[in-house]
Amino acid sequence: MTEKTNESLIGGTADRRAVLKGAAGFGAAALAAAGPLATLSMPATARAASSNAQFRADLVKVPGVGKGSPTDADWQKVGEMCLGPTKANVQPGEFKGVELTFMGLNNQNLHNFLFRGFLKPWEAYTGATIKWIDLAQADYNPRLQQAIATKTVDFDIIEMGAPFEGDVCGKGLASPMPDWVKQQIEVDDLVNYLKPPVGTWEGKTYRVNIDGDCHSWNYRTDYFKDAKLAAAWKAEGHTGDWAPPKTWQQVNEITKFLKGKKINGQDAYGYLDPAKGWGGFGFYFLEDRATSYVKVPGDKAWLFDPDNMKPLVNNPGWVRAIQDAIDCLPSEPADQLNADPGTTGFQQFLAGTGSMLSWWGDIGQMANTSDSSVIGTTIGFDINPGSDTLYNRKTGKWETPAGGINFAPNMAYLGWGVYVMARADADPKKSKAAWSAAAHLGGKDISLWTVMYPSGFQAHRNSHFQIDEWVAAGYDKGYISGYLGSLDKSYNHPNSAIEPRIPGIFQYYSVAEDELAKIYAGKATAQQGADAIAAAWEKITDTIGRDTQLKLYRASLGM
Amino acid sequence: MTDVMPDVGPVVDDQPIGIAMHGVSPERRRAGRWLVWLATLGLAAIVLAQILFVSGVTAFGFANWRPIVYAWLVWSVVIAAGQVIVRGERGQRALFILPAVLFTVAMVIFPTLSGFYIAFTDWNLSQLEGRHFNGLDNLRSLFQDAYFWNALGNMVYYVLAVLGQYTIAFGLALLLNADIHGRKFFRVAFLMPFMLSPVAVSWMIGKSIMEFRFGPAAQVARFLGWDSPSFFTTPMIARAAVMAMDGWVSIPFVMVLLLAGLQALPGEVMEAAKVDGASPWQAFWKIVFPLTLPVSVTALILRIIFELKLADIVITVTDGGPGGATDTISSFIFREYRERSNVGYGTMLAQFYFIIIIVFVTLLLSLAARVMKRYS
Repeated sequence: MTEKTNESLIGGTADRRAVLKGAAGFGAAALAAAGPLATLSMPATARAASSNAQFRADLVKVPGVGKGSPTDADWQKVGEMCLGPTKANVQPGEFKGVELTFMGLNNQNLHNFLFRGFLKPWEAYTGATIKWIDLAQADYNPRLQQAIATKTVDFDIIEMGAPFEGDVCGKGLASPMPDWVKQQIEVDDLVNYLKPPVGTWEGKTYRVNIDGDCHSWNYRTDYFKDAKLAAAWKAEGHTGDWAPPKTWQQVNEITKFLKGKKINGQDAYGYLDPAKGWGGFGFYFLEDRATSYVKVPGDKAWLFDPDNMKPLVNNPGWVRAIQDAIDCLPSEPADQLNADPGTTGFQQFLAGTGSMLSWWGDIGQMANTSDSSVIGTTIGFDINPGSDTLYNRKTGKWETPAGGINFAPNMAYLGWGVYVMARADADPKKSKAAWSAAAHLGGKDISLWTVMYPSGFQAHRNSHFQIDEWVAAGYDKGYISGYLGSLDKSYNHPNSAIEPRIPGIFQYYSVAEDELAKIYAGKATAQQGADAIAAAWEKITDTIGRDTQLKLYRASLGM
Repeated sequence: MTDVMPDVGPVVDDQPIGIAMHGVSPERRRAGRWLVWLATLGLAAIVLAQILFVSGVTAFGFANWRPIVYAWLVWSVVIAAGQVIVRGERGQRALFILPAVLFTVAMVIFPTLSGFYIAFTDWNLSQLEGRHFNGLDNLRSLFQDAYFWNALGNMVYYVLAVLGQYTIAFGLALLLNADIHGRKFFRVAFLMPFMLSPVAVSWMIGKSIMEFRFGPAAQVARFLGWDSPSFFTTPMIARAAVMAMDGWVSIPFVMVLLLAGLQALPGEVMEAAKVDGASPWQAFWKIVFPLTLPVSVTALILRIIFELKLADIVITVTDGGPGGATDTISSFIFREYRERSNVGYGTMLAQFYFIIIIVFVTLLLSLAARVMKRYS
């Protein structure tokens, strides 16, 4: 990351913080060399940088990694500490009399619970008050869709995932972000894939990013260091060394190899496919396999044909991915058909079953910090596997990828954001208040805290990848380097698969889950099932409106 | 009042004025009727104006339909007052039932009719333009929908399982009706599963006790020689597991009804059977069973109606899997609504299933009546 900072400084594209950060190292060195008296003679910028670095170091020590779960008092303290940017744009008591309604999640006592604490000092400073609508994950989509369809949007601020931007921004229900907010939250710091077109709609920015999402690769290091397994691998005549896989073909080979073997006296298993639906979210896991087959470098489309919205899900690449899952399942644990992604992540992998898993960053966050995890530090990270063969939808032919392997990390869900609704714009004071609250939650410093502690959010800014800050907070350097490295490589991968933000995207996923369940249960072949998914998707597209879907699909891909 | 009858004079609405319209002057009746008419016209005008507004025909109207609800409430109050003004004491009597009628119209009749309309639209919450009438398209889709017919097929298994639940419940009821130690304790203990939410049961049993890796039921199954005790990955076993959980929650309900029936049996009949030398089996089959048949029929029909709505356990534990083997109509409708925002088609599924249930239960009642007649 130091290299990155230097490059940006040399390149002349550094923002204020980047300059300060670069100066921080210099300031610290000067301090060490000259002692306390040197502070007085330091340039102002270096002093600011030093104080900013110190501020961030102090911030992430609330309450301190490994010192128990943060409480409401900690969230309020963090909110208070991070009020600086708000104070620069808002006068004390400026929003007195304004009442805002905030709709968000209450999953696992995170999300809205944190926001309440963060915003309490903001309310005290600005004079605004906030009314909360807390929703369980399962209630979120229907509540939002209902509000949109019945034109009863009764909230001013919403915590929302990017896939819903088509439903909300596409219908003109959200407020475009003012420039002062962009400056306050320092949007340039966002990782590349979260920059426009994500968060924007028809050229306007709507989203305050508070999260980044992608699926990345988690594997058990003890499996791949096990001498007996290595010997058996060689004895059975497998090609290559006994090592973590780089392709999905190798994933299947390893999974089949491990079937019937033991490790530490227990049954050994390879990859864990979630074969049971999860309200649409389970489809992301088939995408993990499929993107490496169908996401062609330079071609943004991999789910629908951008010329006519015809589904690509039944092309040979997708069918191959489905077939891989079918072939792999018999070698996975016996209850895999009833395992949804929650089961594979928390009841299987973190509980010691299985050696390979593609999941969101939660697994890495929890492996070594959660009481429910038994795998501790025996976990390694990487970007998702690729494929040694690639299906090109344009030529209709299988190709050998340049470089031998086609990697296409799946940017599943694109993370949570905070959006201000257009209804708040009716009153300029209310609108500014809503944007100020959103900006407070999406601030650069507060985000560092949220990605380090249990929050439901993972790293999403370039500044989150400064390993030293994590180590200073209490993380093990090797562990956190691997974890952040896998996210960084996924986010910035040139061939990452970006999710289309079109209305009803979870309808497509949900209906696909039903078909996949049939396929995995042996009631349909991969091709039959894929054709059924394609037919169901065509129906959804026609119901919602093909022309509008096509227009919004292309817009979401920046085409 | 009977004494007054000969002197009442003219009759209005088949009631002697002296009784029903006592003290109601023609002017008051006229005023009352005007009030009702005005309120009705007002309500109709507001509803019409709002319909025209939302249809885009006119430019003025309310932002939402809430004012129409208020208008309905005002109209209801005026109608109630009008009854008293126009009909005097008879109107006052009508007030005992009128609120219930108005409530039923608002909360049952109107939503049902509205549901029938929605069932013939293509309403999907993600549509930019809102719903459109699409004729019989949803019905055609339903007849071609393999998921619906698969779920309906599963419902046959679930309904048949009610017979098994009934048998177990009868056995338990007989046991609790017998003179056993701790009878009161067992009566409460056996009732406890019924007090639990099926969702809680799904988590406690389906996702904990029957969990493949650490669940006690899986451990016992392994101990008994079942290598891979996975309760939810094979169609028949998964269906049986869902039935078992459903039975665990529901059997106490049937048991309590049957126990009440058993306790109501006349003691002298049982005594007479004993004196006549009837064996326990003969006493049960020839006396107890026929005498408790009305209770049994009631319990079975209620259970079948509940069973036809089975959803919570399936949604929580299997999500309809493996491959739709445990899916129910209600869990399928749930997915259509909740995950796919498919309001039009989901409503068609619900209405069609509603009709199937009505027909099925009517046939069942008719069958029950015949059985009862034969036994009586």
